[in-house]
Amino acid sequence: MQVDSTRLLDAPLIEVAGEIDHGNASLLTAAFESTIDEGADIVLLDLSDVTYLDSGGISAILAAVRHLRDRGWLGAINPNANVRRLLEIVGLSVDNGFRVFADRTEAEKALGESSES
Amino acid sequence: MNAAEPARCMRLTVDAEPARLADIRRFVDEVGTVAALRSERLFDLKVAVSEACANAVEHSGGNHAPLHICAWFHSDRLIFEISDSGDFRLPGAERRGQAGTRGLGLPLMAALMDELRIQKTPGGGTSVSLCVRLT
Repeated sequence: MQVDSTRLLDAPLIEVAGEIDHGNASLLTAAFESTIDEGADIVLLDLSDVTYLDSGGISAILAAVRHLRDRGWLGAINPNANVRRLLEIVGLSVDNGFRVFADRTEAEKALGESSES
Repeated sequence: MNAAEPARCMRLTVDAEPARLADIRRFVDEVGTVAALRSERLFDLKVAVSEACANAVEHSGGNHAPLHICAWFHSDRLIFEISDSGDFRLPGAERRGQAGTRGLGLPLMAALMDELRIQKTPGGGTSVSLCVRLT
């Protein structure tokens, strides 16, 4: 698994590629913690190249959502159908601290709307 | 199919440590290909087997005790048995202290599989059985 931290507009964007499991999810947790420590209210997570996710990765995502929920949200970009299904099973799709976007353009639009409100 | 014919089986034995989870997934890939599973069912199975193994790894106490994985092919279903020498712990009070992000493994296995069974084995270990219907 590879984790890269970059930005989309003003928001931190974490790009992950490969398989996220119990053995490596701590890398994702570390990436989330550094963006949240910097005071980010909105964090984006590009899952386009994530081929596998287990509860190790889901726990990392849930922890980030819990930190952001009261002041912003975590936006997942382009999870594949299998990953998306897992996120739904654990209830993230109905969590107001979590959003899913089909692509970066959709995420940018939501960032624009959040900065206006 | 002849009823007397024994079910075929594919086996993998690995040390119970997180770094081996990727090897376990490759094994599930192999089995899923033999069983001609649809890709989304194969993904579900990979997650469920991985969760069962991760649980065993977590409870092996770092002693890297062997984890035995066996895939049984029946005519209408595929059954994975994951056996370890430690205790499978249900997500309970001790885990709630960790702010509710742990203990997802069992609900995921239950949600993704057609059947789930957890049994104590005579030697003090635990056996998790995961079933996917093939029809």
